[in-house]
Amino acid sequence: MCEAGKNIYLPHLATIEEITQETADIRSLRLVFQDERVREDFTFRAGQFAEYSAFGAGESTFCIASSPTRKGHIECCFRAVGRVTGALQSLEVGDTIGVRGPYGNSFPIEEFYGKNLVFVAGGIALPPLRTVIWNCLDLREKFGDITIVYGARTENDLVYKRELVLWQERPDVRLVRTVDPGGDGPDWDGQVGFVPNVLGEAAPSAENSVALVCGPPIMIKFTLPVLEKLGFADEAIYTTLENRMKCGLGKCGRCNVGNVYVCKDGPVFTAAQVKAMPQEF
Amino acid sequence: MVKTITEENLRALIDALLAEGKRVVGPHRESDVILYAPLGAGSDFAADELPRRSAKETLFPLCESILTYERGKDGAKITDVEPDRFPETVLVGARPCDAAGAPILDAVFSWDYDDPFYLERRRRTTVIGFACTAADSACFCTAVGLAPDATKGSDLFLTPLEGGGYRCEAPSAQGEVLLGAHAGLFAERTAAEPLPPARPAVDGFDLPRLKAWLDAHFEDPLWAEIAARCAGCGACAFLCPVCHCFDIVDEGGENRGARRKSWDACGFGKFTNHASGHNPREIQPQRFRNRVMHKFKYYDDKFGQTLCTGCGRCIRCCPVGIDLVEVLEQIQAEG
Repeated sequence: MCEAGKNIYLPHLATIEEITQETADIRSLRLVFQDERVREDFTFRAGQFAEYSAFGAGESTFCIASSPTRKGHIECCFRAVGRVTGALQSLEVGDTIGVRGPYGNSFPIEEFYGKNLVFVAGGIALPPLRTVIWNCLDLREKFGDITIVYGARTENDLVYKRELVLWQERPDVRLVRTVDPGGDGPDWDGQVGFVPNVLGEAAPSAENSVALVCGPPIMIKFTLPVLEKLGFADEAIYTTLENRMKCGLGKCGRCNVGNVYVCKDGPVFTAAQVKAMPQEF
Repeated sequence: MVKTITEENLRALIDALLAEGKRVVGPHRESDVILYAPLGAGSDFAADELPRRSAKETLFPLCESILTYERGKDGAKITDVEPDRFPETVLVGARPCDAAGAPILDAVFSWDYDDPFYLERRRRTTVIGFACTAADSACFCTAVGLAPDATKGSDLFLTPLEGGGYRCEAPSAQGEVLLGAHAGLFAERTAAEPLPPARPAVDGFDLPRLKAWLDAHFEDPLWAEIAARCAGCGACAFLCPVCHCFDIVDEGGENRGARRKSWDACGFGKFTNHASGHNPREIQPQRFRNRVMHKFKYYDDKFGQTLCTGCGRCIRCCPVGIDLVEVLEQIQAEG
């Protein structure tokens, strides 16, 4: 698969073109590859991830948050919680970061053609679905109804707020935003309640539909029974696993759930696949 | 092709390889310990007993740079390490449990993506295996399908002869080339009999039966019982010829430094810790289970091989006396 002797751990260099402070500690970066050939040749599929590096601090794993239909740049989104993400947070527009990837499998978008899509996301887990959402919106005629249920603890914890406005304004998207009770500000015009409950009330039809769910483990745990009640089969529900990784290449031995390597066999799995795995994620 | 070589000529062979500019790694006595280390002369070769650490670092060093970085006013710059410049190496005196490690590790380092740091070293390394004529109570190569005279992973293979000297086989073409290039140091086969191979005391495991139990018992009270003592020190993984988990870290300052790949161990508490604080393997029995599962189930599921050569180092080094053979016997009894 790669040139003999080629250093697979060598990242591409990219320049930070734009920074968006999504919340107090969540940041989005828009990155442009410095090498012109990489800029032209770099392709990926929605759901794939990359290793992003702040030189001197190390590498961190995030999904590629932009859509493969938007060329010329990629985006990532992270919460500054550790050494590497703290260092990434301190970088400014024009600074250089390293990007290795794309790695892992992806959402089988072509299999979704002609179907209704239900996206369910919580907190900082919108980025892995946002890549799919824009991918599908850029090919809008290929899909049926699109429903997005997105929630966070408080209004301030919602990421991609400007894009939530764009989705809300579109007549061909049904967006349901929610915050946990007490998380709403004076101007909040969305729902109040836990994502699984709000999803149940929104009750999107399971008929000819697939659901894509990303969020904290507790949200996913309570969302799956709601989807099941709505009539979604486990094979029609997709999610991503987020185990800790280092190499991203199936070598370093840390992201496995049983004999499944999240970096190679995932990160995208159906609920049926997840239910067959040992409880190790 | 079977030849013989005297003790003296084996040392002369090492000197000749060094004179050719090759790196020669072999068992070397350092105070009271024998370790695989770069040899400076044939006289350094000390194959008296199984080296304390495995030979895997010849191909997969404990810590190595995979790139260097520099940050200045006009952005960051990185420099490749160019793994295709590793030296030609001869690993001489590798015990069968160490020589067999390489063909097992080839699978993980070459599936889908080729890891050049391992593979380029491997391509440039010729292995001269060395039969064991004595085993200690921890040796169990015969229990996992290997043997004290197994040539798996060896390009040349030496067996001590009665009265001194060695019988030398060439199990690979690479070995024949080395033998041919130094033909003058070898002699035709003589009547001298090879010393009988060592006889490890452990009976063979029924590996498919072991695996069948592991397939069905991810959750089992046995894990907490056998791992209760495990301190998570990682010594077993570091001494193992085939444990290969690693970390990637930047070392150096903000302005210049190196990104390094260094050994890690699934027994360490933070190994799988998420940024959020969530840890899928929160307690030691879960981590111990992963180590056993990886060796006797996951690696087999993925690559059709057992990730263990029976060298026994994990048993010899464990500070709390966990004995993998006892663990496997216990599992076999359950199944």
